[in-house]
Amino acid sequence: MTNWSPTVFTRVMLGVAVLLSAFPLYWMLVIASRTNADAVAVPPPFLPGGNLGENIVAVLNNEDAKFLLGLTNSFVVASIVTVSVVIISTLAGFSFANLAFKGKNVLLLLVLLTMAVPLQQMGVVPLYRLMVSMEWTGTLKAVILPYLLNGFGVFLMTQYTRQAVPMELVEAARVDGAATLRIWWNVVLPAVRPGMAVLGINTFMLMWNDFMWPLIVLTPDNPTVQIAITSLNARFSTNYTLIFAGTALSIIPLIAVFVVFGRQIVGGLMEGAVKA
Amino acid sequence: MSLDTLPRTARTPRRDHPPGRRWRSRVDVKAMPYVLVSPYFLLFAAFGLFPLAFTLYYSLYDYDLAGTTEWTGLGNYAALLVDEDFWNAVVNTVGMFVLATVPQMLLALFLANALNKRFRLRLAIRMSVLLPLVTSVVAVAVVFTQLFARDWGLVNYILSWFGVDATNWRAERIPSWLAIATMVDWRWTGYNAIIFLAGMQTIPRDLYEAAAIDGASRRRQFWQITLPMLRPTMIFVVLNSTIGGLTLFSEPTTFYNGNVDGGSQGQFQTVAMFIVKQGFREFDYGYAAAAAWLLFLLILIGALVNFLVVRRIGGTK
Amino acid sequence: MLISKRRGMAAATALAAATLAVASCGSGSGSSEPTSSGPVTIRVQTFGGGSNFGYKNAITKWNAEHKDIQIKEEHLTDQFEQQYWPQMIQWLTSGTGAGDVVGIDEGGMGLAKAHPEWWADLKEHGLESRKADFPAWKWENGVTADGKLFGLGTDIGGMSLCYRKDLFEKAGLPTDRDEVGALWPTWDDFLKVGQQFQAKVKDSKWADGTNTLYQVVLYQEAAKNGNVTYFDQQNNLIVDKNAAVRTAFDFAQKLTEQGLTAKLRNFTDEWAAGIQKGSFATLGCPSWMLGAVSDNAGEDGKGKWDVASVPGGGGNWGGSWLAVPKQSKHPKEAAMVADYLTQAQTEASIFTDFGNMPSNVKAQQDPAVQSAKNEFFNDAPIGEIFAKSAASLQPVFLGVKHAQVKSAIESVVQGMDDGSVAYDKAWQQLVDDAVKAAG
Repeated sequence: MTNWSPTVFTRVMLGVAVLLSAFPLYWMLVIASRTNADAVAVPPPFLPGGNLGENIVAVLNNEDAKFLLGLTNSFVVASIVTVSVVIISTLAGFSFANLAFKGKNVLLLLVLLTMAVPLQQMGVVPLYRLMVSMEWTGTLKAVILPYLLNGFGVFLMTQYTRQAVPMELVEAARVDGAATLRIWWNVVLPAVRPGMAVLGINTFMLMWNDFMWPLIVLTPDNPTVQIAITSLNARFSTNYTLIFAGTALSIIPLIAVFVVFGRQIVGGLMEGAVKA
Repeated sequence: MSLDTLPRTARTPRRDHPPGRRWRSRVDVKAMPYVLVSPYFLLFAAFGLFPLAFTLYYSLYDYDLAGTTEWTGLGNYAALLVDEDFWNAVVNTVGMFVLATVPQMLLALFLANALNKRFRLRLAIRMSVLLPLVTSVVAVAVVFTQLFARDWGLVNYILSWFGVDATNWRAERIPSWLAIATMVDWRWTGYNAIIFLAGMQTIPRDLYEAAAIDGASRRRQFWQITLPMLRPTMIFVVLNSTIGGLTLFSEPTTFYNGNVDGGSQGQFQTVAMFIVKQGFREFDYGYAAAAAWLLFLLILIGALVNFLVVRRIGGTK
Repeated sequence: MLISKRRGMAAATALAAATLAVASCGSGSGSSEPTSSGPVTIRVQTFGGGSNFGYKNAITKWNAEHKDIQIKEEHLTDQFEQQYWPQMIQWLTSGTGAGDVVGIDEGGMGLAKAHPEWWADLKEHGLESRKADFPAWKWENGVTADGKLFGLGTDIGGMSLCYRKDLFEKAGLPTDRDEVGALWPTWDDFLKVGQQFQAKVKDSKWADGTNTLYQVVLYQEAAKNGNVTYFDQQNNLIVDKNAAVRTAFDFAQKLTEQGLTAKLRNFTDEWAAGIQKGSFATLGCPSWMLGAVSDNAGEDGKGKWDVASVPGGGGNWGGSWLAVPKQSKHPKEAAMVADYLTQAQTEASIFTDFGNMPSNVKAQQDPAVQSAKNEFFNDAPIGEIFAKSAASLQPVFLGVKHAQVKSAIESVVQGMDDGSVAYDKAWQQLVDDAVKAAG
């Protein structure tokens, strides 16, 4: 098994990869903990300074930054979309994978086709006009609704359910007299949980980082966190410590979640990637 | 990643049920599958079919800032095909995509191969290469924009050690692409490596053992076993990167302070930015809608090309 | 498994219902809803670098005196044409997002005027009475073709050059503002002095970039060419026919070809940092630029900067208006705020505090304004420099799509400087891009 032990080169490469992954985040902290003059100094500062707390308080106290609102909004948007996409996809995936019905192949093909269409980019014009005519611009509804549709989710859950739920299990439950929804709840759901986790993480990340559509449809009064950083950047373009303290704040919640659930996230991602 | 879509045959229940229950059960079996897929298709109708159809509709009209709307038929498409700015955006998008994706795939593969070895702190290392993914995209673009600043950026400072003059990363085309490709790669290389790693772990080890007995070197094993066996995973990763890369928006927009012009001369304006600029900065909705259709075409072509390329890689050996 | 079935189903149903319920009221945390009780908040949206409209002190004063109406300034961005105005147009057409009072630069007024449906009529709030406070052209630009009063004048541009005294000294040039002004009777002299400067000072450039000085020359030349720039009075694009544009362009090209610029575009963060770090010695300064310079330079810059006259004659670059969008939920209070912010007293104190030259005639005549000195700029007699010439300033006609064309042209002028546009192709590209932007 000598094949599986790493060479020196491999170790070095991994070390570099880890350093590079962490460096921009380290840099964010360096600037966020210094002064504006340091941020534009040459040579640049390489070590963190002592103003982190002060700068973070400044962001949180800055009414125009709308930072907490941005974080809350992003959390609300990402959670609602994630929960609904996971439920909708799991239901449809079960139907496609384990149930027989007429027109199934055509419908599944349709799902596959929609996967290739970047709807939120392609449909910006009519979606925007729709939101305007419904007077929904500036509201979170406008950000959430177009993303409830996720062809990738249905496809992923169909594939996953196929692998994870043997037909025999479904049929046995049927013989026991269980209705379809009950089979979904009792047989399918427990088996496809890892797939749901992967889809959930993916969807959450996608929504958290969504930028183009919120930039069009939201206003800086009611931003998601990405829009909050963008308007912070536009409004206080030379106040680097404020901007960097803001960006640091915006990713701390995500990193905290990641550190706590790291094992599950890495495991889930890997399992999902193989089974789908 | 199997794409087979054949239905599996469902056997009918054997046991006898009371009549009412049987009826209910039959409705359940017949109708429930449709009910279960219906949320998706209802949403598809509202937020998929409707926007696509209306994008087509809008693309046939000419909108002006002053408030007039005129039927123009295929005029917008014709104008786009000879619009230098549009082609500039296409070239930028494809250029940045290639500049980002090729090294990203190679790095991710080698990184995955390295991660597949046995070493201490395995989980910690896997987590740290995934770290970029859990940061938010705009936040990271802000940091990179500072790193690439002309007058005080760290990148120019380090380059100055080697006697390189300060580069204006936002003014020159290729440097701006490099800066943006760096942001994209920083974000996605680790993620793709983890996906590749998952694929690698499904490759049976006896294949390697057999190859080792035959005297194949590690490098040879990588090219002749790992790569071909990874093909399905690669198709998934590459298709994903294609869609993401060709709709690139956040990084280049933030790189120019939230402005969709993409540099003074559109040095790094992507097609997605072009669409937003036309539709929501110049308010020519028709032109933006037509550009959106052409973007879709571009993605289809990109996906097809990549699919064919990946299929060839190690495919026939 | 069987026991948990019912409970499971119930849970699933509840979960689904909850999701839909949350989704359908996802707009819960929508934008600032008006509340029936408590003070009314009037959001004033502005743009521009540094202290921009100079409203800080005026707003503090109002808020202390009016508990029932509170003003909140939202400075959205430094850049008008590229960022603020397109965003504002989008909000005005979509019906949400715009503040209760919004600032509009002269470049946006043509379009604003062409869209009466965007604005509340200030006549309905008794502001017709303000007519005598403003020069005729400033007033009329805030009235639509069908007679709706939508905009009140804030500031006007005027023209000067800001320069770094300490850098001038380093280069062995005079530092006294009158002597400095005497250095450059013409723009060619200005370039010559620049060469001398750069021969002596290595780590700073003569000018900030191509753009501020291009604008200064453009508006000077416009006065000699029928007071038009990119559009004629009939709103036809005349970029390639107006000698003023060509002259200004040629000057900008010389400036960058001779390597006299720090290659910075105004109102970017590199430019702001350049002011602070002394990357360049001069820039074109309409009155409202003073606040941008002093605010970006910070305390350390105090006394290092001064104001001199420009080569050639005077001119009027910039100046803004305040308007109340129709979508405002508090048009009455918003009109009161717009009224307050354009009063003679307010505009006068903005001038003395920050430098934006009042468009209000009574403010211009205020002795405090006429004799004002600016502490930051080494006690420069800004009253003398700006107020004296204010009455004689000629309005420049700007077309409906001036902001769009200006943005396109500035990109080329800037592109020459940062090397992305070749000098020999620049003029043709400027004309082509202008035609395109004019749609």
